[in-house]
Amino acid sequence: MSNTFIIIRREFNERVRKKSFIITTLLMPVLMIALMAAPALIMEYSGGEEKRIAVIDESGLIASQLQSDDELIFEPTDLSVDAARKELTDHYAVLCIGSGVFADPSDVKFYVNSSSSIAVEGNIANQIGHIIETEKLKQYDIDNLQQILDEVKTSVSMQTFRNDKSQEGDTEAHSSIAATALGYVLGFILYAFLLIYGSMVMQSVIEEKNSRVLEVMVSSVRPFQLMMGKILGIASVAVVQIVIWGVLIVGVGAAVLPRLMPDYLAAGVEAMQAGAPQAAEMAAASDFDPEMMQAVASITDAGYVTMIFACLLLFVLGGYLLYSAMFAAVGSAVDSIQDAAQLQTPIMVPIILALLMMLAVIKDPDSQVAFWFSMIPLTSPIVMIARIPYDIPLWEIALSLVLLYASFIGMVWVAAKIYRVGIFMYGKKPTIKELWKWVRYPF
Amino acid sequence: MDLLTVKNVSKQYVGHKALDDVSLAIPRGSVYGLLGPNGAGKTTLIRIINRITAPDSGQVFFGDRELSPDDVYRIGYLPEERGLYKKMKVGEQALFFARLKGLSRREAIARLKTWFIKFGIQDWWNKKVEELSKGMAQKVQFIVTVLHKPELLIFDEPFSGFDPINANLLKEEILALRDQGATVVFSTHNMASVEEICDHITLIDKSHNILSGNVDEIRRRYGANVFEVAYRGDEEALHKAVGERCEWIDGSQSESVYRTVKLHVRSDADVRAVIAAANEAVELRSFHEIIPSMNDIFIRAVSGTL
Repeated sequence: MSNTFIIIRREFNERVRKKSFIITTLLMPVLMIALMAAPALIMEYSGGEEKRIAVIDESGLIASQLQSDDELIFEPTDLSVDAARKELTDHYAVLCIGSGVFADPSDVKFYVNSSSSIAVEGNIANQIGHIIETEKLKQYDIDNLQQILDEVKTSVSMQTFRNDKSQEGDTEAHSSIAATALGYVLGFILYAFLLIYGSMVMQSVIEEKNSRVLEVMVSSVRPFQLMMGKILGIASVAVVQIVIWGVLIVGVGAAVLPRLMPDYLAAGVEAMQAGAPQAAEMAAASDFDPEMMQAVASITDAGYVTMIFACLLLFVLGGYLLYSAMFAAVGSAVDSIQDAAQLQTPIMVPIILALLMMLAVIKDPDSQVAFWFSMIPLTSPIVMIARIPYDIPLWEIALSLVLLYASFIGMVWVAAKIYRVGIFMYGKKPTIKELWKWVRYPF
Repeated sequence: MDLLTVKNVSKQYVGHKALDDVSLAIPRGSVYGLLGPNGAGKTTLIRIINRITAPDSGQVFFGDRELSPDDVYRIGYLPEERGLYKKMKVGEQALFFARLKGLSRREAIARLKTWFIKFGIQDWWNKKVEELSKGMAQKVQFIVTVLHKPELLIFDEPFSGFDPINANLLKEEILALRDQGATVVFSTHNMASVEEICDHITLIDKSHNILSGNVDEIRRRYGANVFEVAYRGDEEALHKAVGERCEWIDGSQSESVYRTVKLHVRSDADVRAVIAAANEAVELRSFHEIIPSMNDIFIRAVSGTL
């Protein structure tokens, strides 16, 4: 058995056997779903406390039409503004509507006894606005006005299809809402993976260097084997983790989601996935937003998800390999994590640049900028993975991958040189210039 | 036949010279001591032999070929600062290193068992390294170093951190390894161990090789014909009898009825004649050469009074 393989196996076993690995791997998807659901849940249940608002209405028309709900309770009062402000301090606020509010909608004052909130202010402003609109419309004296208005109101929602991919039928139609959301999520996942697993490599190299284990091993292993063993060992941990997450997510997506959806929606989604022409009609008939339906169809389409998942795996691996080689080189050159900060700059800059580019690119995935940043190896993993949900041409993905893996090989060559020298250097913290000198050492 | 030859090796670090034109030859099947004060360049030399660093100039030969990268597989190296994975279990770790050195799993386990029993550490197999004391970890490290039976063993300060009992155990094992055919190089400050187990030494000071050779020869060489004489009789008479052929080093001291004196016999003089003359003049009780300890030689060599 080759030495590199023995090292890979050790790195893998050491990490996978840890309780923390098992816990994060199983809990991470749950945690992510919880994080996404949390704001909605908090909004749902945080209404709780009721807020009493005293209303002084000088116009005489509005106070009676304000609707109280579980949270906001409107209490008309006859006190003057000054008196109300002084005496009603047990109320949440005093709302003062001026007599000229119909002519000047800004003649409304809100005196709050504690901190105000956008939600409360929005609610009140909305209600008053609506009441004034209705009152104004009444003055035109038109029959059935409300009905006419309702009929006139229109909201357009589009279904998007890729005409360049298939002109027969409506297959291959993937929602751009789903694509944007997926793009963001994938881009951030990649960013997180590069950073977390990259610095894991660096930390582990520093630890090994400090414990002097390397001096013991140098008589049986080449430093290059050590470095590659570590990089690949940790890579295999990452792959296992992604595969477990992928299986969990795809499993949930394909098995659970359709069952949670209402039947008519499920039928529509199924028809859409199958590319049946009646899909749009079914959507229309079920009065469900067809764009939304398309989004659901996209993210529950097993083929689409599998394709994205495969790409994610390839780009995470390629990006990780490229960056971890750099992280390993930096780790070998320093004695402690604190010392590493400065040398990490050339690694962190492209990662952050890639993240910023990803945010820009996602709005216009077919632009020149998007294309070039998804080809340049240091930024390509994050930028490309964010573009992939948009069904970009296969050759672009392939070219980007080839460039990425080729530059990994080049980077490993350079990193191995630095590693070879750095790993046995103690004490002095080298500069980037010195690292470059190490690359040209005659080993 | 020399197993390892170092020829004119120099190594410069920023600011100071670690090795300056050092040459030495390590005979096959010997125990070779690398001596020298702290910072003399011993560890640098060991690291060059291990190909951890490269010399600026000079060559290292393994057998009759120049040292190649693959030769490190024939070396077992115990570094001065011990390195083991702290979180790993002892047995698992020993097995990991053994496998890296090319032993099959079964062979590795069998050999490890033998060594663990020899060192009385069978119970540690499932302990984590961080639970071990320094000396305990060192035993494990020693086993890992010698397990694959390399031709050349290099120990950097192998006795530091050991109590006298374990140091003795280690000495015996080092000698046993030599008897099985291994060549052992070790660096040390412990001069007593040098006299006990080294066949040859090299003394490095201020990055130079200042003394090399067989331990017995060196001790005799630096013995420098000094003899201690115990006698009963007249000091003047003894002086007159041997005076022309000897230098009087220490004045005569009297202990009960016997007096002792240290004499340096001139190199052109015949020791037997000196003894005969002394025997005529006084009643000789003993007449023996003083062989300096390695400790004396070390101190004298390093302080430049050799």
